[in-house]
Amino acid sequence: MNFYLLYIAIAVGLFAFAAFFALFGVYAERKVSAYIQDRLGPTETGKFGTLQTLADILKMIQKELIIPAKADKWLFLLAPVIIFVAVYMGFAAMPWAPGLVPSKINIGLYYVFAIISIETLGILMAGWGSNNKYSILGAMRSAAQIISYEIPAGFAIISAVMIAQSLSLQDIATQQGILSAEKIKFLGFWEVTNTGGILSWNIFRAPHLLVAFVIYFIASLAESNRAPFDIPEAESELVAGFHTEYSGLSFAFVFLAEYSMMFLVSMIGVVLFLGAWNTPLPNMSVLKLADWTTNAWWGIIWIALKTLALVGVQMWIRWTLPRLRVDQLMNLCWKVLTPLAFLCMLVSGVWRLWLM
Amino acid sequence: MSMVKILFYVMATVAVFSGLYVAASKNLVRSIFMFFVTLLALAGLYVIALADFVAITQIVIYVGGILVLILFAFMLSGKETLEAVQQQKDRFISLSKLPSVLLALLFFAVMAYVFYNSGADNLTWTKQAVQTGQVIKANESLIENIGVNLMTRYLLPFEAISILLLLALVGAAHLSRKEQQA
Repeated sequence: MNFYLLYIAIAVGLFAFAAFFALFGVYAERKVSAYIQDRLGPTETGKFGTLQTLADILKMIQKELIIPAKADKWLFLLAPVIIFVAVYMGFAAMPWAPGLVPSKINIGLYYVFAIISIETLGILMAGWGSNNKYSILGAMRSAAQIISYEIPAGFAIISAVMIAQSLSLQDIATQQGILSAEKIKFLGFWEVTNTGGILSWNIFRAPHLLVAFVIYFIASLAESNRAPFDIPEAESELVAGFHTEYSGLSFAFVFLAEYSMMFLVSMIGVVLFLGAWNTPLPNMSVLKLADWTTNAWWGIIWIALKTLALVGVQMWIRWTLPRLRVDQLMNLCWKVLTPLAFLCMLVSGVWRLWLM
Repeated sequence: MSMVKILFYVMATVAVFSGLYVAASKNLVRSIFMFFVTLLALAGLYVIALADFVAITQIVIYVGGILVLILFAFMLSGKETLEAVQQQKDRFISLSKLPSVLLALLFFAVMAYVFYNSGADNLTWTKQAVQTGQVIKANESLIENIGVNLMTRYLLPFEAISILLLLALVGAAHLSRKEQQA
């Protein structure tokens, strides 16, 4: 029976983490945007405005849940839950440290990729359920964008998988450090199996994965509907896109899903390309830095730091670049990213055959 | 009853009833979203049958692709056409339903016949496989097996399907291209 209790505890823990991260993420986003735009951001509530998002969520929970008279009630209420659950279920297969993964399944990466695609359905459901022109336009834009960008993202992921030869996220993570069972070569010629550190990360094992990583990162911005790919909620054209009609708790769920999605896609990027929970410090003769900084606790710290750094880059990009037009968006996806991703896949095959 | 059996019955019930709703509902959009529940329940059944790759592929293709495509077609078509579809005269017993009823009954008869005559519990080839140890266990990875088989034993069908898909792509690109002024 303890078995099941543990499962439930892990699920609750992941939910708590997602909620906590959304709170922290909104605060960070406001501070980062304020810094970039030379403002101060929240300052009044708590020291440096740290309690601002807590106050926001308290207000949001108390608000009335308004359902538009002409809306499809069931679809309208269920959509935010589906959007969030799709992202939340993805966390089930993510590795946090050596030997620490909620569910070590053989096809973990494929599972995460599939679960994320359910989000599209939730967004379409929200758009249709609201019975509002702006909502439905936003939902359709969002779905078109997510489906298109799944292709370059998928091929970038495949080129990493071809190097790793596994779909299990924990196996892919283990391969990129001193715990690896197989030989690791830095750039294909220098053996670094016992040196570890930054040298054995996937982007340095096969340098074309750096390109694949950039492709994946751009595509993941589009998949989480973040600027510069936020045409689904373009304020100047569509009010607020697919979540125009949402208020109170359902709106909170949409927001929770957006921030969890940011964390999830960054975490997948870290696991596939940036060494997962492996330390960036290599072993240097007597200084066994990699040996000292590889265990369960350090693993959690490293993966959290790397993922948060990527989330930080996402915020930085959002407040720096202007929004793309629809045709520019599709041009970038189909004419630049997709051919490049195909090329990466080809190079991966050659690399695996002759250089590893 | 074991946990697996309970899960099986729960998911089978969900699949059957959501499927019935999909077929019976007057509201087309709702039945599309209900179809999503059916697909998820089916994916769960596949997982219990140790076909986790099939389960996830089904979610990727049906939920991420086909359902979204159906919804797109739905949202892009005019409201009048849809209302015409929704307001069809629908009596429980009518002559226009005869072919589908016949088809369903025949299909059911075939399934029942196969089920009672095959004796699924003691087939010779499954017994042989168990004796020689040629079985796949729950914690083994199936992808390598699928990959090797696709590239050796089933190479011709695999390539034929990819040519078919390529043809569909070319056709779609041709249809959506602007007509050149002659």
